[in-house]
Amino acid sequence: MTAIADASVDPQDGEGREEPTTSTGWAAHLRLDRFSALYLWGIFVVYFGLTKKTYLSTASVSLTFGEKTIVCLLALAFLVPLVTDTFDLSIGANLGLALVILFRMNKAGQPIWLAAVLAILACAAVGFVTGFIVVRLRVNSFIATLGMSQAVTALILMISGNRQIIDKLPRGFIRIGASRWLFNLPLYFYYMLVIAVVVWFVLEHTALGRYMFATGGGREPARLSGVKTDLLTWGSLVASAVIAGFAGFVFAWKTNTFQNSAGPGFLFPAVAAVFFGASQLRGRANVWGTLIAVFALAFGIKGLQLSFDAGTYWIEPMFNGVSLLIAVSLASRQGVIKIRRRRQPNPAAG
Amino acid sequence: MAAEQTGGRPLLAVRGLTKVFPGQVALDRVDLTLSAGRIRALVGQNGSGKSTLIKILAGYHRPTNCDQALLHTDAGEVPIELGDPRTPDVAGMRFVHQDLALVDTLSAVENIAIGSGFLTRGVRIDWRREEERARADVADLGFASFSVTTPVGRLAPSQRTIVALARAMRGWRDGASLLVLDEPTASLPHDDVEQLFQGIRRLRERGVAILYVSHHLDEVFEIADEVTVLRDGRVVATEPVDALTHERLIELMIGHKLETRCATAGNADTTPLLSAVGLAGGRVSSASVTVTAGEIVGIAGITGSGREHLIPLIVGQMPAARGAVSINGERVLTLSPRSVLAAGGAFVSADRNRLGSLRGMSVVANTTICDVKRNSLRHRLLHRKERREVDGWISRLGTKTTGGAAPMATLSGGNQQKVLFARVLRLAPKVILLDDPTSGIDVGAKHEIYSLIDQAATGGAAVLVASTDTDELVRISHRVLVMRRGRIAAVLEGADITSGNIERAQTASAGSSQTASAASSRSRES
Repeated sequence: MTAIADASVDPQDGEGREEPTTSTGWAAHLRLDRFSALYLWGIFVVYFGLTKKTYLSTASVSLTFGEKTIVCLLALAFLVPLVTDTFDLSIGANLGLALVILFRMNKAGQPIWLAAVLAILACAAVGFVTGFIVVRLRVNSFIATLGMSQAVTALILMISGNRQIIDKLPRGFIRIGASRWLFNLPLYFYYMLVIAVVVWFVLEHTALGRYMFATGGGREPARLSGVKTDLLTWGSLVASAVIAGFAGFVFAWKTNTFQNSAGPGFLFPAVAAVFFGASQLRGRANVWGTLIAVFALAFGIKGLQLSFDAGTYWIEPMFNGVSLLIAVSLASRQGVIKIRRRRQPNPAAG
Repeated sequence: MAAEQTGGRPLLAVRGLTKVFPGQVALDRVDLTLSAGRIRALVGQNGSGKSTLIKILAGYHRPTNCDQALLHTDAGEVPIELGDPRTPDVAGMRFVHQDLALVDTLSAVENIAIGSGFLTRGVRIDWRREEERARADVADLGFASFSVTTPVGRLAPSQRTIVALARAMRGWRDGASLLVLDEPTASLPHDDVEQLFQGIRRLRERGVAILYVSHHLDEVFEIADEVTVLRDGRVVATEPVDALTHERLIELMIGHKLETRCATAGNADTTPLLSAVGLAGGRVSSASVTVTAGEIVGIAGITGSGREHLIPLIVGQMPAARGAVSINGERVLTLSPRSVLAAGGAFVSADRNRLGSLRGMSVVANTTICDVKRNSLRHRLLHRKERREVDGWISRLGTKTTGGAAPMATLSGGNQQKVLFARVLRLAPKVILLDDPTSGIDVGAKHEIYSLIDQAATGGAAVLVASTDTDELVRISHRVLVMRRGRIAAVLEGADITSGNIERAQTASAGSSQTASAASSRSRES
């Protein structure tokens, strides 16, 4: 688990981050290691913008931004605990849990605000239990959240009775989330931006964020420095579950349906975006790198889908996967060079 | 020293062995001849080159230069390639390392067989025969049998040592071969030491050449036939133990009359700022310490004596089974790093890479981690203010770095240590606890750190320093507590704080009649 985190969250192990010129040639000047997603995004916009007429139409652009809101939210949900070196693979399941509670309670005639509050509380409870398992029982977060995701999936099936629910949610509730605002984008897109700004501010500009990064950077040194590493890990898992639950609301606003399979499909794109994003800008997991990664990929896929037949469904996962691999390898190349250079005998104590 | 006193048939002869690490000569033209059926002790202070020598024999390090390495076999003299990982196997050299290198979750049977392979019937392991074989191996070394199927993690320390020894001796060829024991008694209670010695003597009778590395000089006198003394990478003596006295051996180890003390006695203030009473846990069975304002107290002791666990216990890095700690007159109710920091204590842990540095984070983040909020306004972190504060610490301590934003891992060990000191000093602590504060850093940085410690004490802090470096303790301490087998066995004060006295007090075995006062009075005579 830490191997994964080391390779991607902090691909350069600190060393060499200050001196980008260690890798020689033109590539170094372009800072491909740090801005590959922005370049990609630019290339897509220019290329597809010139070749496809509809690509840059307002409708198309705002559709792409709106569509990717759920992935962005889940990516933020994954990012928060990842900063403390904790994996949360239950984010997709949490989305589903919030979603099923909304629809089931609405169908049962309960007021929607109560359903919404309950949905968020249920997700927070899931995060709390996960935190207990990770912090108190000392179960590896990868395994703990994998197990929790299955338990929550079972819960979703129980609540939904394994049926798709198509139901009209109250208009007021839809209006709160799905009304169009600036640039004809739905409100939920701006909610996501607000959450992103909050997460960014906390992580980068508060003591709390510093303590979280320290927990992820070295649990024991951080604990010895008086950082409440356990509490932070626990709290980050609760925050993650709540953000994922909110992503469930967005799903409801967007599709107006409940499906059993709603959550898990978003897991990979979200996780991939965080790791891709971690290779961007600061060289560690960060909010804006993550969002840029999501949209760079989205714009690429959009263009490819326009270029190929409508039937080429395989493009999206293929493109997501390959881009992630390329971006992370570009970022870790410098790290690899450094490691090779460092591999010399250490003076041993006599 | 030119003519090596060796009885028995020579087995291994090494000439002119040199190992240079970047910036440090670890071994300087070392000659070593080991003979079959003899026990050779290898002694020296920390950093004298013992570990490097063993690691070269074990094929872990490659020597920078070696004039000659000959193995005497029945077929005559064969040159061997030191530093080649295959050499120990070919030459019949076996090792028991200090940490024993056992797999705790596996049984003795499995641990013993793990290197040499299992007895099989077809592809299946024949567990019954394996068990018999393991029991026979243990009995062969002269030990009472114990459950060889229990995971070794649950065995007693002495039994674990036996398992490691049995593994090393498995498939022992008849005739000449070499066994290297690196601090085999480090984790053993006194009674078990004698039992282990019987096993070692039995091997000697069978003609095994034994290289015995130990800090316990009493053990050296008890078991070894000859002793080789390393100092600063050179062999300064190889003599029969009968020709040596305890005093003489220590003199050979420390080599110089560096008994100059720079530390002056603390001020008259006798308010105890730190007091730990009846602390127990880990290797510490019971220890009490009091440090007053302005005082620097050193903790000495070989590894395994409890010295390495005392500060971790006080600061709550590891859980204490018993004991109470008060800082600045207030009892710290639950010992945790957080509560110790809150009470006005601050500390630098021993293992810088694992416990100190946040390696991927910046120098700024590493400096301010104990108190980030100081540079916050409401909840906003004022990056510029924080940066300025850290820049101040960088220039005050003379830390060499490309800047506050530089990741910690890009700094050298000594400079990382300075950052960790800045982390502590910026809290203006009443009590400073330092666990091996200068390990693995160069001489220049060491002296800068000493003056930081001096300044902190002059400023009224109580300082407790545990160290493996006796010269360091002599240089900075006003009082030195020497630990042995989990207890504070001796207290040295004033002029009694000398390398010789510290070495003597920490290497005396528990059963010996030597007391600290006797030791110090004798040193004054010499």
